[in-house]
Amino acid sequence: MNWVVVVWTGATSASLMLAAIHLFVWIRNRNAWASLMFCLMAAFTAGMAGCELAMMRVTDVDQLGAILQWYNLSRWAVTLALIGFMHFYLGAGRPWLELTVIGLRTLALLLNLLVSPNAYYSSIDGLNRIMFFGQSVTVVEGIPNPLMLVGQVSLLVLAAYLVDTTWRAYSAGAYNRALRVGSSSVFFVLALSLQTMLVLWGVLEAPIMASLFFLGIVGVMAFELSEDMLRSTRLAENLQQREVDLRRERKLTDAVFQGAPGLLFLQSQDGVIRRWNKRPTNPSEVTETKIHDFFRKEDHPALSESLEKTFSEGSANFELDLVHSDGSATRHFFSTVQIEIGDKPHLIGIGIDVSAEHALSLELALQKEKLASVSQIASMSELSSSLAHEINQPLAIILSNAEAAQRQLELPVPNHNELRDILKDIVAADIRAADVIRRLRSILHRGQPVLKPVAPSSLLKNVLRLLKTDLDTSGALVSKKIPKRLPNLMADQIPVEQVLINLIKNALEAMHENGTRGKSLILSCAAEGSGVRFSVRDNGCGLPESGDWIFEAFHTTKPTGLGLGLKISQTIIQAHGGRLWAEANKGRGAIFHFHLPLRPETA
Amino acid sequence: MNESQSVILIDDETDLLKALRRLLKAEGFQVACHTSAADFLAAPRPPSPGCIVLDESMPGMTGLDLQRELVAEGSTLAIVFLTARGDIPMSVRAMKAGAVDFLTKPVKDKDLISSIRMGLKKSADLELNKKEVDLLRGRFETLTDREREVLKFVTQGVPNKQIAASLGLVEQTIKVHRSRVMTKMRADSLAQLVVVAERLGITSHDSKTI
Repeated sequence: MNWVVVVWTGATSASLMLAAIHLFVWIRNRNAWASLMFCLMAAFTAGMAGCELAMMRVTDVDQLGAILQWYNLSRWAVTLALIGFMHFYLGAGRPWLELTVIGLRTLALLLNLLVSPNAYYSSIDGLNRIMFFGQSVTVVEGIPNPLMLVGQVSLLVLAAYLVDTTWRAYSAGAYNRALRVGSSSVFFVLALSLQTMLVLWGVLEAPIMASLFFLGIVGVMAFELSEDMLRSTRLAENLQQREVDLRRERKLTDAVFQGAPGLLFLQSQDGVIRRWNKRPTNPSEVTETKIHDFFRKEDHPALSESLEKTFSEGSANFELDLVHSDGSATRHFFSTVQIEIGDKPHLIGIGIDVSAEHALSLELALQKEKLASVSQIASMSELSSSLAHEINQPLAIILSNAEAAQRQLELPVPNHNELRDILKDIVAADIRAADVIRRLRSILHRGQPVLKPVAPSSLLKNVLRLLKTDLDTSGALVSKKIPKRLPNLMADQIPVEQVLINLIKNALEAMHENGTRGKSLILSCAAEGSGVRFSVRDNGCGLPESGDWIFEAFHTTKPTGLGLGLKISQTIIQAHGGRLWAEANKGRGAIFHFHLPLRPETA
Repeated sequence: MNESQSVILIDDETDLLKALRRLLKAEGFQVACHTSAADFLAAPRPPSPGCIVLDESMPGMTGLDLQRELVAEGSTLAIVFLTARGDIPMSVRAMKAGAVDFLTKPVKDKDLISSIRMGLKKSADLELNKKEVDLLRGRFETLTDREREVLKFVTQGVPNKQIAASLGLVEQTIKVHRSRVMTKMRADSLAQLVVVAERLGITSHDSKTI
């Protein structure tokens, strides 16, 4: 068994094997430059080992010289590949240092070619055979060449480069790699350098065995690379698992998105839709779609406002028509909230089809409108009925008085005093009828009230004058509370007076059966807010239990429809931008108030 | 002034009351005025016959309410409605309850006066009728229970034999009762007795309580 042959051929084949593996790796992944460098280094290490084995067995000097040329070429290549590997693997080498090492190594190579016999020896005495590991191997006998120092210096500079690169890689955080690759290569290079010196100076009797040192470096590198491969495999597995998880998560969110009732969308602040559960189905389209595309142009300002509100206030609710791909539109209620995704504000919105509710509310509005017009007609019919009553009374008085007068005149001696009284009453009744007509015309013939400055106190005084007979016959105790300084109102005098007349007449009727309790009517007005409040207070029979319907058309608690009804009074007050309401009087009876603004806003 | 010319005006419109009183006084009626139904009810009842000219729409008690009350107490006063806004249902109710007429304001003197005269006549008739019925009821009250039973059967045309069988008596006894009824009710013939029974409202099922 020849140990030398076994070791060197083993080294050669191992190196070639590793080179082949990493060549394959590099072919599969062209970016794995470290693998390529490793492959080259291993291949040339194999070359070196082959040369060394051949040198150990040469028999003449010329043969040795030829092998030595190949050997040096291999060493040069190995050094370059080592630097390349360190460069790509640790990624920390200084370029000028790398170039220095390469330059020195190249110089050593050239010297070997140019100097005779070579750069190691100035003269070769002959070949000698020594015993090495129980084998007889060939070694060179000669005088060492000082030029050999160039090669040795290059080795030392290489070692320095390795130390530097290792240190830099270590500092950069690649602790394990730097320590393992860097320190082992430094160790082997220094050991090689030492061994070479000792052999060349004849201190040590051994053949050249640099390949073994390089094989050491190759071994450590191979270990590192395979470690890396294991690690990357594990990483790949993790990645794959994570991808599976992500895909599952994505499926879940997709399912949630797609399955959500109504619309669900995610939108970035620039208005671009990121996710959208209903339309369009093609996700690539989604990224190009803006939320505005799903709404009518005229709705865009309202939409933009709501979206801006979401980003500024955090949330918004709005209702708009959503336009479908076929051009039809359905009413949707949207609720949007702002969320942060990767520090960027986004908006999540839900939309619910409320077209049924919307149609219903539209219909309700329509019905309300119809009802309003019906109630207006009802008011008109009530009005005409009131008109008939209001005018028929004085007409009846006039007719009966006139007929009574006719009878007086037919008497042999007519009573002149009686006739004078009758005529006076006829005139009064006529004036009353004319007044009614004037009032009604002023109410009926105007859509909008004609506004003139009116003093609140003069309104009350006019009304009291007009109602003097009613108040006198009722026997009610009338008190007035009118502040001295009240602002003038912009109002239509006659309708407002009519409201006061209605309220006072209602109050008198409510107190009709007060009997011994006595009748107390309190009229007051006061400045309140930016307007004036009028109040008519009585101690009569009070309001019905549920007070709201007293303002409705056709409603009445009394058999006689004197006046124009609360409904019409309310209409008049509302036309002035005011409010008419009722409350129970403390103790007994009711208070009707109305508030008129100094200047109606609608006018 | 003749008592049969009594007219009562009820209306919340004082000016109209004044005018109507002038008119009716000139026509020779005796006129009393009230401004509400309650006012009228509180006053002593006017003598009958009389005619009320009644406004339907008044605060407090309405004209129809007052009419119902008067009918319930069996008043013989006639009622003429005079209203500013009467509708058909209202007038139907009034007429069904026995009103003489339903007039609307303004009313012509001739229409009003002819209605009042009709009312006064009706009131007088009612008064007369009431007096007669009172007389007949007085006579009826002198009958014994048995005689009242016999009266009931006789006025329905039931033969004596059958009456006897129904009451468990002999025919001769029925004949005696029958002759006493005729005497007490001062009826000359069966036909007269039937008319009396009708005016008293005697029915086949309820002869004891009239």
